[in-house]
Amino acid sequence: MHESLDTQIESRSLIKQFFDSLHLPTGDPFAVAGLIIYAAFVAVALSADVIATHDPTEILYTPAYELAADRSPGQEGYILGTTSLGRDIFSQLVYGSRSALLIGLTAAVMVALIGTLVGLLAGYFGGLIDTILMRLADVAFGIPFLPFVIVLAAFLEPSIWNVVLAMALVLWRDTGRVIRAQVLTLRTRAYVEAARVSGSSDLKIVFTHIAPNVLPLSFLYGTIAIGWAILTEASISFLGFGDPETISWGYMLQDAYASQALSQRAYYWFVPPGLCIILVVVAGFFISRGYEEILFPKLKD
Amino acid sequence: MSELQDNNILLSVRDLKVAYRVGSKDVMAVDGASFDVPAGAIVGVVGESGCGKSTLVRALTRVLARSARIAGGEAFFEGTELFGLSEPDMNKLRWRDIAFIPQSAMNSLDPVYTVEAQLHEVLMQRGGMNRKEARQRSAELFEMVGIEPQRLRDYPHQFSGGMRQRVAIALALTLEPKLIIADEPVTALDVIVQRQILDQLKELQQRLGISVILVTHDISVVAYTCDKMVVMYAGRVTESGDTATVLTAPFHPYTMGLYNAFPDLAAAGGVLTPIQGAPPSLISPPPGCRFAERCPFCQAACRTVVPALIEVSEGHNTACHRVAEAADLRVKAAATETWEANA
Amino acid sequence: MLGLKQIGGRLAQLIFVLWAVATILFLIFRLMPGNPLAAYIDPTFTEEQQLILMAKFGLDRPLWEQYFIYLWNLLQGELGDSFFYRQPVFDRVLELLPNTLILTFSSLIVAYAFGIIAGAWLAWRRGGLAERVAIPIVLTTRALPEFWLGMLLLAIFSFSLGWFPAGGTRSPGEEYSSLFALYSSTDFLAHLVLPAATLAIYSQGLPLLLMRSNMLDVMGEDFVTMARIKGLSSWTVVVRHAARNALLPVVTSFAIAVGYQIQGNVVVETVFSWPGLGRELVNAVSASDYPLAQGAFLMIAIVVVLMNLLADLLYSLLDPRISHA
Repeated sequence: MHESLDTQIESRSLIKQFFDSLHLPTGDPFAVAGLIIYAAFVAVALSADVIATHDPTEILYTPAYELAADRSPGQEGYILGTTSLGRDIFSQLVYGSRSALLIGLTAAVMVALIGTLVGLLAGYFGGLIDTILMRLADVAFGIPFLPFVIVLAAFLEPSIWNVVLAMALVLWRDTGRVIRAQVLTLRTRAYVEAARVSGSSDLKIVFTHIAPNVLPLSFLYGTIAIGWAILTEASISFLGFGDPETISWGYMLQDAYASQALSQRAYYWFVPPGLCIILVVVAGFFISRGYEEILFPKLKD
Repeated sequence: MSELQDNNILLSVRDLKVAYRVGSKDVMAVDGASFDVPAGAIVGVVGESGCGKSTLVRALTRVLARSARIAGGEAFFEGTELFGLSEPDMNKLRWRDIAFIPQSAMNSLDPVYTVEAQLHEVLMQRGGMNRKEARQRSAELFEMVGIEPQRLRDYPHQFSGGMRQRVAIALALTLEPKLIIADEPVTALDVIVQRQILDQLKELQQRLGISVILVTHDISVVAYTCDKMVVMYAGRVTESGDTATVLTAPFHPYTMGLYNAFPDLAAAGGVLTPIQGAPPSLISPPPGCRFAERCPFCQAACRTVVPALIEVSEGHNTACHRVAEAADLRVKAAATETWEANA
Repeated sequence: MLGLKQIGGRLAQLIFVLWAVATILFLIFRLMPGNPLAAYIDPTFTEEQQLILMAKFGLDRPLWEQYFIYLWNLLQGELGDSFFYRQPVFDRVLELLPNTLILTFSSLIVAYAFGIIAGAWLAWRRGGLAERVAIPIVLTTRALPEFWLGMLLLAIFSFSLGWFPAGGTRSPGEEYSSLFALYSSTDFLAHLVLPAATLAIYSQGLPLLLMRSNMLDVMGEDFVTMARIKGLSSWTVVVRHAARNALLPVVTSFAIAVGYQIQGNVVVETVFSWPGLGRELVNAVSASDYPLAQGAFLMIAIVVVLMNLLADLLYSLLDPRISHA
């Protein structure tokens, strides 16, 4: 009985199984809006070469070989104007979506992966493994997040990978704790007991019986981590510890702040990158909220 | 029994309908209930869970779930029609005239305040007392329900289940109401404590001359406590009358079945025979008698024609097509096989 | 109250976490590539002078010995001297802590007062237009990059409208006889408004959403229904019963929010040149002033860990089900 169920599950297409088990929130209008924003954002990031009007790092000159700096939006064909060093703001904005996507996705995957693994191991095996992992989580909760990322990013090579790594080293804690709690309830379920009695190995039980059931939770925490990662990278870049080689929205804001864009009231320079960050992060919130409603439905009244 | 003889009716409910909004449909949880509560009497409202008895009595306070509303009918309390009152007028009447004892005193007491604070709140805000008077009255109330007044300073979670139910009774008595609605007041308690609480309630009721509506699913509680009873099934009243009359000579098969299904509170023993099946869905109720599906004496007419509530003797009403054969049915209903055969 | 055993357990956990954070910090700062004294040593120093300096900072000893010296010094509140200021890090950090705490608490008190009231109100008016409009707006404030919000407020209210000063804690030329005189001056308040508003706008979402969802839960409880059946006023029902019960986890979250805010202050303090711990940390890291960066980091970590503990204690104190067990 048990084995036949196993083969049945395995015979289904893995990809379909994966998407089914995610339970994407397509019923909630806000979540749908979030998904649309995400789709648009991914599309822009992938086709940045086509959409951007200039090289985002190129210093632009007028035909008379004068620096094309501080142009306001629309002036001389610069859609959003230029920076005080003569770089095209619109193109920077478009390319910024690329690094945001890269950072958001890698951080989300790392956070979800580490957190899920920790949660599974701690919850399933318990005992010493659980104690060690949960004390580690305590420590991660005691580490001031942003200062930690700053220090690590500053001392390692300033690159977006180190920023992502530093974030993942701390942010797994929430996912880990939640997944562990979920695993603790799952491991007492009859089918897990049955698998244990029938002699399945621990690893097989963890990955074929328990992991699929915590996948939606991992995904939820992954979507939350996307927003966090993009916000954190922006802060790090703003403080000057970001990757100098990469155009990101945080970098643009740092550039604007350092170049006195505020006192010159160059709103066209620093407002758009902020709005882009908000849009992407809020889209993530909407999706995760719609998700939560599916995962933890509350009776209306 | 003498006070039951006079026609002093405290509360008269006529054709009460309460609807729940489910999706885009109205579901009638109470579908035309009528009964009277005489002054100084205990009236039991009995029925299986989900039959609408709790909704019915909650409607009398006009505090219902968000999705529920009173969809029709009238309730005359000392001649005042409750459902036509403005909200402020109704609020004046709440607790001062109609108090409530809930099923779970644990959940109905606010966990973050002492019991004394919760008594004072009512005594001062609704009863117009000052703190000193409220303190004295609280102690009095605790003595009335048999708890030492020192325990007033305790929080709800520090009381045992039975004690909490006594606190709930004390709370109901704060403003000396004319009517107390007790919604399954002893269901969560063990049998011995149940009896103590019911004795207490009955003693206070008689001493203070209060009327009580006691909602229960347990017909033995009704037999033990109530002067009159109302039997409800699937949102409708199927039988009502003096407890003694109804229980010695029930006219509705459902009442006969209920009586078989519960142990006697006063004396243990006897065979319990449950009624097979479950009440019908109220989302699409059957067209005829709602008990037809489970009734061992069901006939063709029962499934199509709604039986009217008719008076079979003085103050005793039944809604059954076969009232004329009641004596015969009673004999059959007493046999266990009758109910099993229907399963 | 919590039993002595639980309090002991929590304290042990707190000490363990602080030790672990200090150790991680030691590893980061000592195992990093490059000479930790690079910023301190003038290129013109001779080899001999460099060695003397290394010895002065204990850097000539083996790593494990350095570690124990480090821990021992920490226990005594000895954080070393700042390379840049040439003064003890401990004094410097203690000097900046009040600025950070004032900014954090003033913004959080405003955020919580607003969030609690607005959250309770939204729960009370559930299902209405207000809710449909407000919730996405609140979620948006949670998605704001704090420093960007600060930049926006700065550009509008300082540079464009000129209502508030652009940064720091006092106007140039203003001198105050004491810290108290500074903190109670209108000049200081004017400097506080924009950074505090930035943090408050960002922070109000948490108490608001928490209060709202707790209220929705509590309003379904029997004791709230009973309060209505008792004919108590709407105010009593909503505030004394529903809100009071819903408030419990929100108050607890205040302590956690303080800890969270202190680390997040880093960016906002930088935008407004607010001389606090966070900005100092950023400056110290940029200038490779390791002792100062380490000291500021540790002080922030201590606040974070203490606030997590305080949250637990507050909860057990405010909930009679635990405090009167």
